[in-house]
Amino acid sequence: MTASQSTEYLIELKGVTHRYGSMTALRQVSLRLAPGRIGLLGPNGAGKSTLLKILMGLMAPSEGHGRILHHELKSGTSTGNWELRRQIGFMPEVDALVPGMKGVEYVSLAGELFGMPRRQAQRRAHEVLTYLELEDARYRKLEEYSTGMKQRLKLAQALVHDPPVLLLDEPTSGLDPAGRSAMLRLLLQLGKDFGKSLLLSTHLLGDVEQVCEMVVILFGGEVRGQGTVQGLCARRHDRYRLLVHGDTKPFLDELRHEGVEITADNGRGELRVVVPPDWPIRNFFVLADHHQLFIRGMIRDDESLEELFYRVVNR
Amino acid sequence: MSDRTTVPVLLTYRPWRGTLHGPTYGMWAIARSSLFLLLRRKLFWALYGVSVMVFLLFFYGQYLQSWLQTQIPDEPIRLGSGMIGATVKPKELIDIFRKVLHLDGSGYTFRNFFNYQSQITMIILALTGSILIGNDFRFGSLPFYLSKPLHRWHYLGGKFLAVGIIINLITTLPAIVLYVEYGLIDTWEYYWDAAHLLLGILMFGTILTIVLGLLLLATATWLRRTMPMIMIWTSLFVFARGLSDLLVISFRLDSRWRLIDMWNNLYLVGNWCLRMDPSTIQTPFQPKYIEAALVLAIVCVACILYLNRRIQAVEVA
Repeated sequence: MTASQSTEYLIELKGVTHRYGSMTALRQVSLRLAPGRIGLLGPNGAGKSTLLKILMGLMAPSEGHGRILHHELKSGTSTGNWELRRQIGFMPEVDALVPGMKGVEYVSLAGELFGMPRRQAQRRAHEVLTYLELEDARYRKLEEYSTGMKQRLKLAQALVHDPPVLLLDEPTSGLDPAGRSAMLRLLLQLGKDFGKSLLLSTHLLGDVEQVCEMVVILFGGEVRGQGTVQGLCARRHDRYRLLVHGDTKPFLDELRHEGVEITADNGRGELRVVVPPDWPIRNFFVLADHHQLFIRGMIRDDESLEELFYRVVNR
Repeated sequence: MSDRTTVPVLLTYRPWRGTLHGPTYGMWAIARSSLFLLLRRKLFWALYGVSVMVFLLFFYGQYLQSWLQTQIPDEPIRLGSGMIGATVKPKELIDIFRKVLHLDGSGYTFRNFFNYQSQITMIILALTGSILIGNDFRFGSLPFYLSKPLHRWHYLGGKFLAVGIIINLITTLPAIVLYVEYGLIDTWEYYWDAAHLLLGILMFGTILTIVLGLLLLATATWLRRTMPMIMIWTSLFVFARGLSDLLVISFRLDSRWRLIDMWNNLYLVGNWCLRMDPSTIQTPFQPKYIEAALVLAIVCVACILYLNRRIQAVEVA
C-alpha cells in the first residue's frame, strides 16, 4: 500500500490483540475503515469497549499495531496520544456527569479540557447545547436532567471542540423509542450533513442499520465481518424470495429433490429458499413450467443486518 | 428545493476552528470547576467564616497588643477599690498577656496560628473531600475527564491544585498577612530579622498542602462518601492522638509511638520549619522532628502509589 492510500483510512489496525492477564479481549483484529459512519456491532463481552480504548489511545495493544487519524496507536501513558484524543469526541455509555454542575458549565469544562480557551469554550457550549435543543435546560443542574437530556448532553461534551471523529458508546442506551429515534436522526445528520466520522459501538442492530454505512461485527474478540452494511448483507447470492401462483406442493418436492432448502412457506405462494452452490436459477422457471406453476416474482432475498449478525456470530 | 433552503434553520451545527492549549491548561480548568462546586456549599462558607474569625483575632490582637504597649504608663495603677482592689503594673500585665497569646510576630504566633487554622482546614477537607474528588468516582465522572487529552496525573494535579488553594487560603496566605502586619506595626528591621519565619511559613504551608492534599485525594478516592471520610479523618487526626497519649504517657512506651498521630507529626514538622525549640512543645515525650518528617514522607509516597494504582485511564469505556 502506498502512503497516499494509507492516509485515506480513518482506522487501520493490523493483528491487534489485547489481553487482560490470561483473558484475551481482542484477537488478531485487522481493520481498514475509511471515514464515514461506522457501526461497531457485538454482544456484551465482544471486545467493543477494549477496541474503543485502544482507538482512543488509552491502552496499548498487547500485539499488533495500527493507526487512527494518522496517529500511531500508543500506550495511554504516552504523551503522544493527547493529539489523537483532541481529534476525537467520546460519548461514554455511563452517565459520567459531574454532580452539582450546570449543563453549560459541564460542556464548557469539556471544551477547556480539550484545550479550548475559556471564553471560546463557554460560547461554544451555548452553541452546541442550542443545536442539541438543550438551550432551555443549560442552566439546570445535571441531576435534574432526564435520561434523554443526559444522552444529548454527553453528545454535546463530545462535540464541543468540533472533532472530526466521534466515538459513541451505546448512544441510545436507556432512551425511549422517541428519544432513540431523535438521537439516531441527530447522529445521522452529524455524519451526513456535517461530515463527522462516527464510530457507533452498540449491540442494537437497528441503531447501526439506521445510521451507519459500514459495520464491523465483533464477537469473542474477533472481527467476524466488516464492510458496508449493504455489501455485507447482499453478499449471499443463494437466497431468493419467490412469489408463485398454483399448486406448490409438487414444485416444492422437486426443489427439495434438487437440493434447494425451503426456509419459509407462508402457504399463500410466498417462498423463501436457499439454493445449493452453482445451482442455475433458471431451473426455478424450468421446474415451474414443468409443474404448470406461474412465478409472479423472484427477488434475491438479501440478508437483513440482524440475520447477518446471527450468521457471523454463530459461525 | 430542499427543506433546508425553504425553512429557516435556526438550530444548526456550526464548526469551530481555533488553537487548542496543551493538557496542562486542563489542570487549571479542573481546579477551578472543583472550587466552584465547593464555593456553592453553604457549609464551606460557614467553616471558612470560622477560619476568618481566627485570623481576625490574631490580626487585631497583634495590633491591639502593640497599641496597648504604647498607651499604658510604667507606673502602677490601682484597679478596683477597698478590699477587692489591687495594684498592678500595666507593663507586667501586658507581658503576661503576651506570654499566653504570643501575639508578637514570633515563631510562637505563627505556630499557634497554623495550629488553629490547620484544624479548621482538616474539618473543611473532611467534609468537602467527597465534593472535590469522591463524587467523580461515586457518580462515574472519571470517564468524562480521562477521555479528554489529559493524563491521569493532570486530572489529579487539577484536583490537588483545588485542595492546595483551599489549604493555603486558610493557612499560608493569612499567616503571610500577619507577618507583613507585624512588620508594619513593629519596625522595618522585623522583615529582615524574622525572614526565617517567612520562609518557615512558606515551608509549613507547602508541607501542609502536600500532606493534606495527597491524603485527601487518596482517602476521597478510596471512600468516596462524606461520612466514611469524616470517620477516617477523625481517626487519623483525633483518635490517633488519644491513642498515642495513652501509649506514651500512660503505658510509658517509646516516644516514637506518637508517630501514629498524623496531626502531631505535622505539628512537629511545622515547629522545625519555624525553627522552634523542641522544648517549647507542651505535649511531653515527643519523637524527633526528622522522624515525624519521615513518617509524613512515607504517607505521601503511599498516597501517590495508591492514586497511581487507583486512577487508570482504562476506566473510560
